[in-house]
Amino acid sequence: MEISTKPRTVPPASPVVAWRWWLMVSLAGAGIGVAGYLSYTHLFELPVLCGDSQGCDLVAQSIYANMFGIPVAVFGLLTYIALLALLIARRHVSENLEAYVTLAVFGLSLLGVLFSAYLTYLELFVILAVCIWCVASAVIMAGLFVLSIWEMKSVNP
Amino acid sequence: MSNKSGGPSQMRHRPVERRQGITTAQIALVIGAVVVAVALLIVLNSSRLRRAAGVVFTYPTGVTQDGSPYKGAPEAPLKLELYSDFLCGHCADFANVLEAISKDYIETGKLQVIFRNFAFLTPESVRAAEASLCALDQSPASFWQYHDLLYASRGGGIAAYTTVRLKAYAQELGLDTQAFNRCLDSRAKAAQIQADLDAGRQAGVDGTPTWFLNDQKHVGAMSEGDLRQLLDSLLSK
Repeated sequence: MEISTKPRTVPPASPVVAWRWWLMVSLAGAGIGVAGYLSYTHLFELPVLCGDSQGCDLVAQSIYANMFGIPVAVFGLLTYIALLALLIARRHVSENLEAYVTLAVFGLSLLGVLFSAYLTYLELFVILAVCIWCVASAVIMAGLFVLSIWEMKSVNP
Repeated sequence: MSNKSGGPSQMRHRPVERRQGITTAQIALVIGAVVVAVALLIVLNSSRLRRAAGVVFTYPTGVTQDGSPYKGAPEAPLKLELYSDFLCGHCADFANVLEAISKDYIETGKLQVIFRNFAFLTPESVRAAEASLCALDQSPASFWQYHDLLYASRGGGIAAYTTVRLKAYAQELGLDTQAFNRCLDSRAKAAQIQADLDAGRQAGVDGTPTWFLNDQKHVGAMSEGDLRQLLDSLLSK
C-alpha cells in the first residue's frame, strides 16, 4: 500500500508545461530588463544606449514617451512585472484558479501586444525614428502573447 | 522503475485533465475588454497630443517691424524681448514658465513677449531656428505652435532637430508642408538667423536665455513665482 501511494506524493501534477513556463518567465524577465532600463534612463534623464543610431533618444524623449504624465516605459515595466507575478502564481494557486490566472496572462499580454503595436506605429509613422529597445519589448510581448494562447489551449482540453 | 520514468514525462508533456477550463465566452470577454481599454487609451492619448499641437490663440500674435514674432498685445505696458536657442534646456524651462504665466499676463494684455532667435549652440540650433521662421512665414500663430512643439520635443536635445523631424513637426501642426519644406531645404532663412545672432551679440547677449524686460537685462531662466513677482512689481509702478 505504502509503495503504491508514493508516486502521488511527488510534486502536484501541474498542467504547466515546464519548458513553456520557463520560456514565458524568461521572456517576462527580459521584458522587465528592457522596460526597466528604459524607465531608468527616462526617470534619471540619461541617454539611452542605442548602438550607432540615435533613434532611441528620439523616441524616448518625444512627446509620445509620456502618457498622462507617466513614462510609457513605466507602463511596460508594470505590465511585465504583473505578467511575471501571474506566471509565478500560476504554479502555486489552486487548480480551480489556474484557468483564471492563465486567462489573465492572456489578457494582459494581449493588452501589451496591442499597445506595443500602437507605439510601433507611432515610431514608424509619426516620430519617424525606431528605437531598438522598444522593438525588443514589442517582440518579447508578442512572444508572451503567442505562448499564452498556447497555454490556454493546454488548459482547455 | 517504469513508474518513476513515466510520472515526470507525463507531467511535462501531457497536460493533466483540467477540472476547470476556460470558456469561449470568457475569452471573448477578455479580448473585448482589452480591445476597448487599448482603444480608449489611444483615443485619450491622441486627443491630448492634438490639444498640445493645435493651440488656438485668443490673443494677439504678430511680427514686429524688425521681423521677430511676438505674442501679447503690442500696446501692453510690459515688453519682454527674449533671446533663445531651441536646443538650450534652460530656454525650454523658461518657455514653460512663460506658458504658465500666459493666462494672467500675456492673454490679459499686460505683457508682450517678443521672440528673437539666438541660435549659437550647434548646427541643429540653427536649423531649428530656420524652421521656426519658415513656420512664421505661414502665420505668427504657426510660429508659436511650432515653437511650443519644438520645445516639447526637445527632450535631452540629442538629434531632436534633424531635418526629417523638423519637417514632421510642421506636418503634425497641419502647416503647408510644401512651402515649409521648400523654405527649409533652400535655407532661405539662414541669413536672417545669422543676422539675428549678430544683432543679439550687439545687444549684449552671449548666452541663452537672455531677456530684456522693459529694457532691463536678465540672464538665465527664472522661476514662475519670481517672474510673477517681478512682473507685478513693474505693473504696480
